[in-house]
Amino acid sequence: MPVFLQAQQSKITITPPAPIAAKRGGTVTETLKLEVLPGFHVNSDKPKDEFIIPLKLTWADGLLLTKSVTYPKPEEIKVGSQDLTVFTGNFTIETQFEAPPKAPTGSGIVTGKLRYQACNNQMCFRPMTVDVRVPVVVE
Amino acid sequence: MNIGPILRELRRNDRQRIHWRFEVFVRPLKPALLATAATLMFLFSCSRPAITTAQADTKPEAARKPAPNFTLKDASGTRVELSSYHGKVVLLNFWATWCGPCEMEIPWFVEFEQQFKSKGFEVVGVSMDDDGWPAVKPFIAAKKINYRILLGDDSVTQLYGGVDALPTTFMIDRDGRIAAVHVGLAGKDEYSNEIQNLLANGETTDSGRRARPVASLLAGSAK
Repeated sequence: MPVFLQAQQSKITITPPAPIAAKRGGTVTETLKLEVLPGFHVNSDKPKDEFIIPLKLTWADGLLLTKSVTYPKPEEIKVGSQDLTVFTGNFTIETQFEAPPKAPTGSGIVTGKLRYQACNNQMCFRPMTVDVRVPVVVE
Repeated sequence: MNIGPILRELRRNDRQRIHWRFEVFVRPLKPALLATAATLMFLFSCSRPAITTAQADTKPEAARKPAPNFTLKDASGTRVELSSYHGKVVLLNFWATWCGPCEMEIPWFVEFEQQFKSKGFEVVGVSMDDDGWPAVKPFIAAKKINYRILLGDDSVTQLYGGVDALPTTFMIDRDGRIAAVHVGLAGKDEYSNEIQNLLANGETTDSGRRARPVASLLAGSAK
């Protein structure tokens, strides 16, 4: 694939999240499904090198509060002399949300941002931030 | 009829004939052949250095376009203009601290800077780190980078076609024209050959004047 076409594409696709339902005062888990394009990798959430940009999912507090974000176990690969921890292919990120006891009932959207930086064996692409939106119903 | 003894005799004669031909024609020439091979090996080893495995892949001069000029700051805050390198061969490398393939090339560039600086060559690194000098300065120190690093921005990358993939490297000739472009990790030999090829095309003297290539002097066509 020509480089200019590679550059125009996002190297990660996110499956649109299904709506989640949360009870006031309870917790709910959202599993975000992601896929890295074949031939590419994205850095894990805990890279070994301080200069490497980690993958990070952050959520804006609103209807729900973020309790924890859990990333999968990364793969360890070697590119040249560099030892990297990366995600490739299909993987998921789990977020545990908490609905505050006094959260308003009804439907809404939880918004988040996924920041990642992708490479292949020959080149890297500038860090990208993509918006994530999850429909929520608070009961 | 048993033809075995006849065949054995024919084979023996063949072996003798081959041995005879070797003794008559080849053996007397053996010292001369060895000497010729040694001479050829010596001549190849003494010819222009270091054209190793990869071939220099620079564009013909007529096809080269001017490298867009820009001004960026270096680590000391000095404003640096690309056009100030006119007369030198420049390896202009867009890179970032978070880029693994870029990191692999950096030791080669450090070596090239040492090896070819006195011949009119400079490496100029343009960092595309969004975090700026706080990210780049420690990296320069950690990797012992001996060439000039500038902090890039999107207005400069737009001049060079966007530079979405790193590393992206432009080889710029002494006249400030782009002689080669490498998107992604390239080979060390490839860079080395291109540098030497471009340096050979009009060497500068100590006084900064351009030396005329021997071939053009012979042709009487040098300006």
